[in-house]
Amino acid sequence: MISSDGFQKDTIAAIATAPGRSSVGIIRISGKKTRLIAEKILGKLPEPRTVEYLSFQGEGKASLDMGIALFFPEPNSLTGEDVLELQGHGSPVVLDMVLRHVLKCGARMARPGEFSERAFLNDKMDLAQAEAVADLIESGSEQAARSALRSLQGEFSKRIEILLEQIIQIRMFVEAAIDFPEEEIDFLNDGQIKNQLSEILKQLKGIYTSANQGVLLKEGMTVVIAGEPNAGKSTLLNQLSGRESAIVTSIPGTTRDVMREYIQIDGLPLHIIDTAGLRETEDDIEKEGIKRAWCEIEKADLILLVVDGQKKEFQKAYEELRKKVHEKVPVTVLRNKIDLTTEEPAIIETQNKVVISISAKTGIGIELLKQHLKTQMGYVETPDDSFIARRRHLEALEQTEKALLRGQEQLLERKAGELLAEELRIAQQSLSQITGEFTNEDLLTKIFSSFCIGK
Amino acid sequence: MNRTFDVIVVGGGHAGTEACLASARLGKKTLLLTHNIETLGQMSCNPAIGGIGKGHLVKEVDALGGAMAIATDHAGIQFRTLNASKGPAVRATRAQADRVLYRQAIRNILENQVNLSIFQQPVDDLIIENNRCVGVITQMGLRFYAKAIVLTAGTFLSGKIHVGKNNYSAGRAGDPPSIALAEKLRELPFRVDRLKTGTPPRIDGKTIDYSELLPQYGDEPMPVFSFMGKVEQHPQQLPCFITYTNEKTHEIILGSLSDSPMYSGAIEGVGPRYCPSIEDKVVRFSDKNAHQIFIEPEGLNTHEIYPNGISTSLPYECQEQFVRSIKGFENAQITRPGYAIEYDFFNPQDLKYSLQTKSIEGLFFAGQINGTTGYEEAAAQGILAGLNAALSADEKEAWYPTRDQAYIGVLVDDLITLGTQEPYRMFTSRAEYRLTLREDNADLRLTEKGYELGLVSEERWRTFCEKQEAIETEKQRLKSTWIHPNSHNVDVLSKIIGKEVTHEYNLLDLLNRPEISYEQLKVLLPENSGVSLEISEQIEVQLKYAGYIERQQLDIERMRNHEQTQLPDTLNYEKISGLSNEIVQKLSRLKPVTLGQAARIPGVTPAAISLLLVYLKKHKKSEGAVI
Repeated sequence: MISSDGFQKDTIAAIATAPGRSSVGIIRISGKKTRLIAEKILGKLPEPRTVEYLSFQGEGKASLDMGIALFFPEPNSLTGEDVLELQGHGSPVVLDMVLRHVLKCGARMARPGEFSERAFLNDKMDLAQAEAVADLIESGSEQAARSALRSLQGEFSKRIEILLEQIIQIRMFVEAAIDFPEEEIDFLNDGQIKNQLSEILKQLKGIYTSANQGVLLKEGMTVVIAGEPNAGKSTLLNQLSGRESAIVTSIPGTTRDVMREYIQIDGLPLHIIDTAGLRETEDDIEKEGIKRAWCEIEKADLILLVVDGQKKEFQKAYEELRKKVHEKVPVTVLRNKIDLTTEEPAIIETQNKVVISISAKTGIGIELLKQHLKTQMGYVETPDDSFIARRRHLEALEQTEKALLRGQEQLLERKAGELLAEELRIAQQSLSQITGEFTNEDLLTKIFSSFCIGK
Repeated sequence: MNRTFDVIVVGGGHAGTEACLASARLGKKTLLLTHNIETLGQMSCNPAIGGIGKGHLVKEVDALGGAMAIATDHAGIQFRTLNASKGPAVRATRAQADRVLYRQAIRNILENQVNLSIFQQPVDDLIIENNRCVGVITQMGLRFYAKAIVLTAGTFLSGKIHVGKNNYSAGRAGDPPSIALAEKLRELPFRVDRLKTGTPPRIDGKTIDYSELLPQYGDEPMPVFSFMGKVEQHPQQLPCFITYTNEKTHEIILGSLSDSPMYSGAIEGVGPRYCPSIEDKVVRFSDKNAHQIFIEPEGLNTHEIYPNGISTSLPYECQEQFVRSIKGFENAQITRPGYAIEYDFFNPQDLKYSLQTKSIEGLFFAGQINGTTGYEEAAAQGILAGLNAALSADEKEAWYPTRDQAYIGVLVDDLITLGTQEPYRMFTSRAEYRLTLREDNADLRLTEKGYELGLVSEERWRTFCEKQEAIETEKQRLKSTWIHPNSHNVDVLSKIIGKEVTHEYNLLDLLNRPEISYEQLKVLLPENSGVSLEISEQIEVQLKYAGYIERQQLDIERMRNHEQTQLPDTLNYEKISGLSNEIVQKLSRLKPVTLGQAARIPGVTPAAISLLLVYLKKHKKSEGAVI
């Protein structure tokens, strides 16, 4: 099978800054479509070699970030092609969202070392640097392979394998029907293919969900802060948001309504909801507040149960809460006020729950909590670029899905078996970026081992 | 007789005939050496030409001026279009052919070809001087010299026939094998391996009871094979019949497996998976209690039939027994026993794209000796090898189609890049540009090039140009025919599009829609000047596939850089830093010609291709520095 990446015809994009948290993140785009992409993302083509402060727009012109855009027309650029640099905030999530939109606008993800490769091939580097470029390509590919492997662990990988199996299966049926029309195996007409196709598309949806970075990272996670009155819930909210949004007093029952706050932790969006202290009360207003609190708790992605760390016992409160919320919603216990008990901040993970010791007031242990929240959202901070690897995979899945949908239409509306076959080929080619090569010969082997062919 | 030629072709099968014709058409003085003039163009296996993938090859050979399609039009006794319901790209023509008529047609074409001499003598040895093949020596010691030699020895090389536990040396059905030549070739630096193929027993049709068998007739209107062909050329047509094996048949076969050379290990060659013997089918697909058999007539003037689907190497007694267990065959008389044949083939990875061997100048291989199977695959290689032998005799640059131009290109690229583990047969699934490589446009893809090379006659060229013009004219006519809400025939259009006509449409844009056919729009044309079905179908196909073809063209464009980047023969892959040992080995062994070919070697990664590119660039730059 022919690899799909033609040299220098494609427009490539990548995050140019080191992976992980940093104050500034740069996305670099190079190739023929750069101008077009600039128009779409920035609403205009920036003046060449001039610093412009612009909004980076996503779908429906929604602003994803603000930052500096730099445009270098060919041939006076890093790669010798049109190059656009978007310098925004260093949050991996924001960068990922911008990159994703750049890809949507027609770029593909650059291979390791590809910018340097183009620079070299376009005479932007001298001969002495050839070895360096070669090294970059080689080490970059190795590293990318390692990250890809890491990204491909667990549920995600299992589902991809199933998906691949199903696509191969369906291709086998379609190709056999085309190449062996006299063998009484005309699957195109018997409804089987149709069912298999919708099954595969359903699987694909499931994979997006299991690649949980997707939704939670984009939409943000809803975190409910719950706990007994005066446990320090509002102080925590203020500490996390860095603002005085909740009125904090030492009088139990101060928060009577539900407080909402939208915050970002290293760019990860979080909807934090501070609820009224959960206690039996006669006060009607407070009662209403508590009722609303329970409504919010039911919709949460994560519950932070804040308890007073000065009291040793929190098991009862935990179990009570556990009984009332859906078993799939995780509950993390925050033992607050460790500044008063002079304990060290700590995170203890046991089989069924996580307990973190913090002081909302002084901020001790808040870093641990933030890490915990990020993990819960599915963001795994690793020193390498597995985040990028995951983006690559999701990109490939999207291409796969698009081809499958087009194929489905060809089958259902036009009964065009040969065009369904073409779309399936493209679908598998896209998927092969994750799963590795699958040749025409492999396909034939599948056909011959499954059907009795040969007159 | 003069013993010196421009090109010598050894072997008169489907590869050999196309090779010598191609060379002679290019004006080269060509000699065809065959061990038997009577069997020129012999169909040694089943009496049919074409099929999915194979029909595509035949049309391409035809578009380049070859003989196979023309001969089939004169010899076909049942014509069908396969996959008619599955879209034009995968439609393919297939014809049952009368063996005698086919041979006659081929012989007629050969005898009337200028620049071509035919001589009957087996070839026993090649004359090789300084790694260059300059001639051949025949059985009686005659020496013939030429600038290029095309070897098309088919399954004759060290052929060994198996029936039950018996085996003996033989060539194709009843012919002697070429043992002397095989031994000589084994001394040359080619990698040799064994393949196997088989045939079913032939049956006397007079002893078959057709009364309860399902007949299968040809298609109406009758397809033609050649772009120059006419339905009137077709002889009388005959039906095929279909019958099935049954559990009794399978029981008999399973009972004598121990006598099968396949299962006893006597056969070491690898057989094709898509054409398994009946014993193989019964064993591997034991859940199937019936296998289809096509009863194909061998010709108009013989009762002999070819039962397609029960190729076997079981002992003769067993063949007789299981044949008679089949419906309609209860009293069948076998006329020739089925057998398996093992033969030598040369690893096609030792060839260049021109089909010239990498190690010996002036020596070309074509057909089954390259590990392929099928008349069509042989013919495709034959025309290419003959062409390039003629070009090399003139010291001109070789020509071969690429994967996006022709199935012939897919065939050659697969063979020389990947080699083959079983007899290689064409399937449409091998072609990534399947929607572009259609039967219907084989001439549009290749005839112009063929004419430029000298393969295509003036007559064919004229016909082709007329066709091309007719397509363009009709497209223009469709484009300039507008229907608007006030047109007198607006009602007809609103019926076609299923809604009221509110603005104007031209017919070409309408035809672009997947649900609208030329047939429907015809009535809207100002006068029914009636272009032929061939023309209207061509326009329709072009429009319906336009989106997909465009996308494939983009892919092709993107690959073009790779395809045009030459890798020098002298490239030392070990010196390229960053390449893994495995990749270095693969590249050094195959020595790909272009970066594109390198990328198609399994296991060669995109990163490796990048490293190659950087290395080539560096090389070029430093060379420039020296100057």
